[in-house]
Amino acid sequence: MRLVLPKRNPCSRISSDLSEQPALAKISGAIEVERPATLRRIRWKFPFAGVFCVAAVLAGLAAEVNRWTGDSAEDGALAVVHIAQHRTVSLHKLSSSHIPMPQGVPSAHASTLTALKGDELLAFWWAGSRESGPDVKVYTSHWGGGKWSVPREVASRDSLGDALGIGIRRVGNPVVWTARDGTINLFIVATGLGGWAASRIAHLVSSDHGESFEVKRLLPMSPLFNTSVLVRATPVGLADGGWWLPAYFELGIKYPMIMAFDEEGEPEWLARIGERTTTLQPTIVPVSAFEAHALMRDASDERRIQQAFSRDGGATWEDLPPLDLPNHSTSVAALRLNEGGYLLLHNHVTEGGSSRNVLRLSVSKDARSWETVFDVARGEPGEEFSYPALQQVGNELHVTYTSRRTSIEHHVYRIAYGKELP
Amino acid sequence: MNLPELEWQIIYGRLAWAAVLVTILAALLSSAWPHSRRMPGAAMAMLGISVVVLSMLPGEASPAYWLGLAFHWPSGLLVGLCLGKLYLLRDGRREHNAMPVGLAVPVALAGAVLYLDAIGLLSLGVYYLGFEPVAAPLSALALALAGSAAVMLGRLRLQSFALLLAAVIYMLLRLPTGNLWDALLDPLLWTWSLVSLAGMARWRWQPAGAGLHKRGHISRVQTQSVEDAEKSA
Repeated sequence: MRLVLPKRNPCSRISSDLSEQPALAKISGAIEVERPATLRRIRWKFPFAGVFCVAAVLAGLAAEVNRWTGDSAEDGALAVVHIAQHRTVSLHKLSSSHIPMPQGVPSAHASTLTALKGDELLAFWWAGSRESGPDVKVYTSHWGGGKWSVPREVASRDSLGDALGIGIRRVGNPVVWTARDGTINLFIVATGLGGWAASRIAHLVSSDHGESFEVKRLLPMSPLFNTSVLVRATPVGLADGGWWLPAYFELGIKYPMIMAFDEEGEPEWLARIGERTTTLQPTIVPVSAFEAHALMRDASDERRIQQAFSRDGGATWEDLPPLDLPNHSTSVAALRLNEGGYLLLHNHVTEGGSSRNVLRLSVSKDARSWETVFDVARGEPGEEFSYPALQQVGNELHVTYTSRRTSIEHHVYRIAYGKELP
Repeated sequence: MNLPELEWQIIYGRLAWAAVLVTILAALLSSAWPHSRRMPGAAMAMLGISVVVLSMLPGEASPAYWLGLAFHWPSGLLVGLCLGKLYLLRDGRREHNAMPVGLAVPVALAGAVLYLDAIGLLSLGVYYLGFEPVAAPLSALALALAGSAAVMLGRLRLQSFALLLAAVIYMLLRLPTGNLWDALLDPLLWTWSLVSLAGMARWRWQPAGAGLHKRGHISRVQTQSVEDAEKSA
């Protein structure tokens, strides 16, 4: 069949719509086509289309100009005190206790700590009948005067769903950060339809020292229905009052990432850490104003703590060879001490042991070579002491971790500095 | 990053999901309608009002609450194309494709790169570019200008209008998420583009005329005219 278009197309009125169907256009140009009545009035029926388009573009442009004139530049440097000479670090245990659990709740996991003014602390964790259970909620307890307060509920799937306007299926890891102005920022894993791969990150804020929280938003971190993003480790402070939130993507493939916030708690940028696809739950320590070291849980066959390094303020990250420390897919926590030196809390694997029955504290002067300090917890094979959190308050080190999945254990150590290291 | 206020997101999400739902229901009902007649405008209006009212119900009573659970918020472009499809359905043009090849190809290609990057198989940071403080708004402005020009010139008007709508909603309120990619693309829209391309490819590879018969584009009278034209040629 060969059909030729006439010089003057009798169907020119509908050419714009039929241009998507060239074969039909050719036929309609050469022969009499039976058209529905509606096709004859395909002409654009909005007489003010041009005016509307111009007005819409101008309105959008005005909104952008308004934003650009209001934006301020941030420097993005990490909050690091320059240390002239590293010294040896020793820790002396002051106390050990369990954070009180809510009544009748058998399971607890994934604690996180933040310091308040006056050497006080807030701890957050999730608790419920079991991991992923519909009754799992995030709780908080206040540390002051050497003891923990009765736990209070902060968020549940119902409260988050009501505030966000969309359903939340389950609640998971919380991560907390206190901004320079005292605002407490709480990030909670909240899943959509599916397992942990359907996770999103809810951002909550408190302006009254953790007495009440308001849901700010879901952080936009993935184009896949904004799912498969989670948090675990404590943020890192920036010199301008902002912070980096370590996060990770998990949908079979796993990779770490960070989201940077300004001092007002607004997200600034997002970056992937390295190129590996088997690392997750990054914990980040600052090395200098623009250098940072990330240590990560390993889901590969290497079974060692993975690491990456950034020299440009977190914008790009270079994968480094894994540390000579075992990691059978367990979370780690790292901290740069105020007077220099780094601490790493991680699960050690011994001969005949299991992946989470030993929780070990290691120390380093450069975050690359680590020495064992002592075991914070040690149990029988199969027992679990995991998901640690570290927080320095003055000259005290606070450690929390999941104890046998039934409670959150809390240790306090006094930090002492010894001789200078070469 | 400039992110939208949660209140605006919730309003957008409800209206956006209502638009998508009305389109899907209208398309299903239209296909069930007698072939020679279009779905009455009153029926379509009733359907639209019902779904919008339903979407505005609080909490779990709203379909948007459950659709958001699974799919978060739809992109502005998907919403715009759904509105375009509704316009076509209202005019009785059931067979008209709101996702022509000129749009389906860039959506499919962009989605492939974006989602491969998002799941970690690529490491380009494509999604993060959607938060760029200068490049993303300038890109949105360029898309809005291009969409406006195309509307006024009469090129793919419905699709250009959808693009303009998505860009302007992003520029005004940073909806749906604050990322330009989320204004232009979502996995549902990407799937639509792939299905459209697959359908177009199937139609193209069928023997000449067969595809037209199957899709109901040519009546028996037309078929006769085509055969006559062939004979005379």
